[in-house]
Amino acid sequence: METFINPKSLFHLLLLPCLLLYSSIAYNSSPVEAAMHTNNWAVLVCTSRFWFNYRHMANTLSLYRTVKRLGIPDERIILMLADDMACNTRNKYPAQVFNNENHRLNLYGDNVEVDYRGYEVTVENFLRVLTGRHETAVPRSKRLLSDEGSHILLYMTGHGGDEFLKFQDSEELQSHDLADAVKQMKEKHRFKELLIMVDTCQAATLFNQLQSPGVLAIGSSMKGENSYSHHLDSDVGVSVVDRFTYYTLAFFERLNIYDNASLSSLFSSYNPSLLMSTTYYRKDLYKRRLEEVPVTNFFGSVMETIHTDAAYKALSRRNSGRFEDEMSLDQSVHHIKRRMLIKVNDGDEIHDINPEGEEGASKCPWSTFRNKFQKAENVDSLLNYGLVAMIPLLVISTWLVQ
Amino acid sequence: MAETKEKSLSDEKPKPRVRPIVRLGIFLISHSFHVSVVCCTAGVLALFLLPVLAKNTYISENALMPGSASPMLSNQHVSDGNRLVKDLTNPNSKSSETGIESHKIIAQYMLDLGAEVSFHKFHPQMNQFHPLHFFSSPDSGKIQENYSCSSYGINTVGIIRAPHGDGKEAIVLVTPYNALKSGFGEALSLGIAYSVFSLLTQVTWLAKDIIWLVADSQYGEYAAVAAWLREYQTPKFSSLSTPNAEMCPDVNNLFELKGHSISGSKFSNSFRRAGTMASALVLKVRDQNEQFEDTISIYAEASNGQMPNLDLINVVNYLAVHRQGLRVNVEKLWSLLNSSWLKSLGEIFESLAKVAKSLYPKWKFGIPATEYVEGTATLASSLYYQALGVPTGPHGAFRDYQVDAITLEISPKFSLDKVWRNDILLRGGRLIEGVIRSVNNLLEKFHQSFFLYLLTSPSKFVSVGVYMIAFAFLIAPLPMVAASLYVDANSSSNCSKGDSSTPSAITDTDEHSIAIRSWRWLNSAKLVFIVHLWGAIVSLLPYFISQIPDCSPTTSFMIWVLLSILSLLTLNSVLASPLACAKATQEKEWALVKSVTISSVFIGLGLMSVINFATAEIGALLMVPMCLLAQPLKLDVRAGTLRSFCRMICNLVLGHIAFPPAALFLLKGMLDGFGNANVGDFWMWVESLWAWNSATYLFIGMVQLPCWVLCISILFHTC
Repeated sequence: METFINPKSLFHLLLLPCLLLYSSIAYNSSPVEAAMHTNNWAVLVCTSRFWFNYRHMANTLSLYRTVKRLGIPDERIILMLADDMACNTRNKYPAQVFNNENHRLNLYGDNVEVDYRGYEVTVENFLRVLTGRHETAVPRSKRLLSDEGSHILLYMTGHGGDEFLKFQDSEELQSHDLADAVKQMKEKHRFKELLIMVDTCQAATLFNQLQSPGVLAIGSSMKGENSYSHHLDSDVGVSVVDRFTYYTLAFFERLNIYDNASLSSLFSSYNPSLLMSTTYYRKDLYKRRLEEVPVTNFFGSVMETIHTDAAYKALSRRNSGRFEDEMSLDQSVHHIKRRMLIKVNDGDEIHDINPEGEEGASKCPWSTFRNKFQKAENVDSLLNYGLVAMIPLLVISTWLVQ
Repeated sequence: MAETKEKSLSDEKPKPRVRPIVRLGIFLISHSFHVSVVCCTAGVLALFLLPVLAKNTYISENALMPGSASPMLSNQHVSDGNRLVKDLTNPNSKSSETGIESHKIIAQYMLDLGAEVSFHKFHPQMNQFHPLHFFSSPDSGKIQENYSCSSYGINTVGIIRAPHGDGKEAIVLVTPYNALKSGFGEALSLGIAYSVFSLLTQVTWLAKDIIWLVADSQYGEYAAVAAWLREYQTPKFSSLSTPNAEMCPDVNNLFELKGHSISGSKFSNSFRRAGTMASALVLKVRDQNEQFEDTISIYAEASNGQMPNLDLINVVNYLAVHRQGLRVNVEKLWSLLNSSWLKSLGEIFESLAKVAKSLYPKWKFGIPATEYVEGTATLASSLYYQALGVPTGPHGAFRDYQVDAITLEISPKFSLDKVWRNDILLRGGRLIEGVIRSVNNLLEKFHQSFFLYLLTSPSKFVSVGVYMIAFAFLIAPLPMVAASLYVDANSSSNCSKGDSSTPSAITDTDEHSIAIRSWRWLNSAKLVFIVHLWGAIVSLLPYFISQIPDCSPTTSFMIWVLLSILSLLTLNSVLASPLACAKATQEKEWALVKSVTISSVFIGLGLMSVINFATAEIGALLMVPMCLLAQPLKLDVRAGTLRSFCRMICNLVLGHIAFPPAALFLLKGMLDGFGNANVGDFWMWVESLWAWNSATYLFIGMVQLPCWVLCISILFHTC
């Protein structure tokens, strides 16, 4: 027996389960590839004050309405409005905001939940929302509770310049600040993919410092260009919408929740002569091909479907997800409908689990291991690995007993 | 650096290194004659170049957004306004002797619209000379006495509260109205204001309260507005005014009648206020007009050449020209329009600009000659009215409280048919509405655009940064010439002393004499000081002269002149005689006097340019050549060359022109013709200056007059 079990082979035997364990963890610890797109968030920011900036609030509210119509629920939209135009004394239509001079659509209707308003909209609060570093008293409704499976739409409008965006006529958000916040979000697994959409003058410069993978950015104008307002409402006496946002909205007005228009079709829909500025999009950090990403991945809440035969056997989801990836985007309406149904359930489940897992995530390596174990997805394989690891333990214990 | 230091240390006798700026100063002082000629020419040229350098106005404040909202004033409002005009011009309303009836009509109209209405009764204050009240804010606590019940005016005030506003700010609309002898123009201006007012009671977009002040102009437009503003801004907590009102049954009657007829309405006996005034518009309609199209004149100058923010003028100009199709003009000196020399100057500039453009296509600064002439005429009037320091309309009263205000005078092409009247009501009303809506959008006070500017046309302006250059060129030679004169006077006397005295005498008296010589300028300084003191006394004299009852302007002026001469002689004999005799023999004493005079003029002009630029500019045009050229006539006569002869002639001419009354006489002659000018005019002019607390008066009394006297004394210096 002693010749059979020499120390070297014993070491190998001991190493085996560790390796197995490690490999399984390593597989899990690259969440960009691993995490599913499970939920959608939108952060919509209007950064400028004052009555003559009416259009910025109208821009933001229009986009709010659009993403809501396309399926992102209110609790997943963080709406920041730097001023209250609806109740401005100069407003000819008190408590109403319009983005078109035909006044057919009141953007400030019944179901508008403004999370940050007036002087709450500061650079500090904006960065806190992105990075999730709130004071304890901040209610959940004002937090961006996204996770590594989230697609986030970040829309900002206001007055900008070369690598900055003005907040409240007193502060500036610089491109470095934005890039830093995004990087922190990435490290904290707060998003899977992030679409930054900015409608300001020289918007493209705001993206200069971004480095984090999974970020797609689109701005209304290049460096040295202005973004212009679309039209003046001579009844209200102010410009009511900016050109870039106007044509974005025009694009989305044609869509409903089941449409499959891709991001590239959105990006190519901007006509520089109508916009009077050149849209700029930065996609070098973004891995997927824009033609294959439906706009509803960001502006709606539409996710990939996992088809399961049995009600409770959703464990091998990754494989099915991959299968879905390979399928073309032009699928039948029937299929999309079905995946919508599934989506709602999925989103809620995952969402409830994750925040708890995240809180302990950064404390020590062991807790990360534990978290990985806790992930429901890999219970199957882990069990198998565990059983394999038990064999050498059994061998050792029997050998020690002898 | 270190090497050079070591070098300088190692040198036994380091060369006295003069810093470049000192060297430059020495150079300039030694060539002061050429420098002063160049600078003065440049200064005058720069002044004439200003119309070419004028920039187009632009709306600087984002929040204003003039014309972005379409006007809401409809024919309904116009017919409302028409109704008021008819009621006011109706002969029945004029039957009352005090004109109270028409005030009642206006108040009733305001009440019908749902506005808060109150009457403000005021006693016209006579303009008096208060020597200590220059630059001080108008005083509320003046003791009012000797007012009879017959001499009071009634302002009717209507206030609309902004429906959603916080009531912290207000916009004021003023229409001067004389109930006793109102022309059709005044009634029409009330009609325009009323139509706007009736619109504003209905709109939801008001952020600032609207105050409509119907100023009783029977004692002058300015007095009524100023009285109301005084009451508004500096509330009286004493019960001075109430007993006054009670003593006069007529006023009581007016108040009570109102109270009874409309009980429970928004009429109130007490003084009503709204928020801080954001801006004010004074609206007038001129009765006669010889223009061929509807024009609107803007008057902006307030006391001491203060101007409202340029944005306010821009908004009015933009809306009038681009929205209502009215022609806008600002005051011009009409006499300049036809002057041929100006036209040829404009042509020279135009051709120069063409040459420059052909050399380098990016140089585009030329303007057509006709435009140049018009620009110069406008600029000259802008300078003149600012220099005068007297407000050009009731808007001046607002500027005293730092409220931006202008007077708009609409002069329609006159005809009496109804269509025309409706048209002018509509366009005038829409213009006022647009301006009010634009100002309503303001978030802060007017602050973005310029406060210091000269207009060359309603849409062109010269900002402070540009027009100061001309002034700076003009006064730049003064300190240099003063320094060079001082140096000359000292060195030449040194030389002469050195030649005359024997070497043995130098040894013991040298230090002493040098010490005395270096302080010699104090004598001249004393003389200058005495003359300035005299100037102050002369400026105070009118206060005492005005106390003499029943004095015609001519006699007052004569008394003033006599007293001034008397006081000059007394001062001279009392203060200056003992030392003046001793130093009279001194050579070149006049040079020192001139040097100190020039320094004092420099200081005076510099100070004045801060208070009122236009006055300083015109003063510099007169005084700088006079100061620089002044030289004893005897010397020139003795020299007998052509150059000295020319200088003599120039000195004599300038000596006449720069005398303030003569300057005014010339100015008046140029503007109105020499026929109707007389001696009393200057007294009246001076009276108006001190009545308006114009700093120009102080400038003339304490800078220009002493300077003139000193220059004359240099001219007649016995040397």
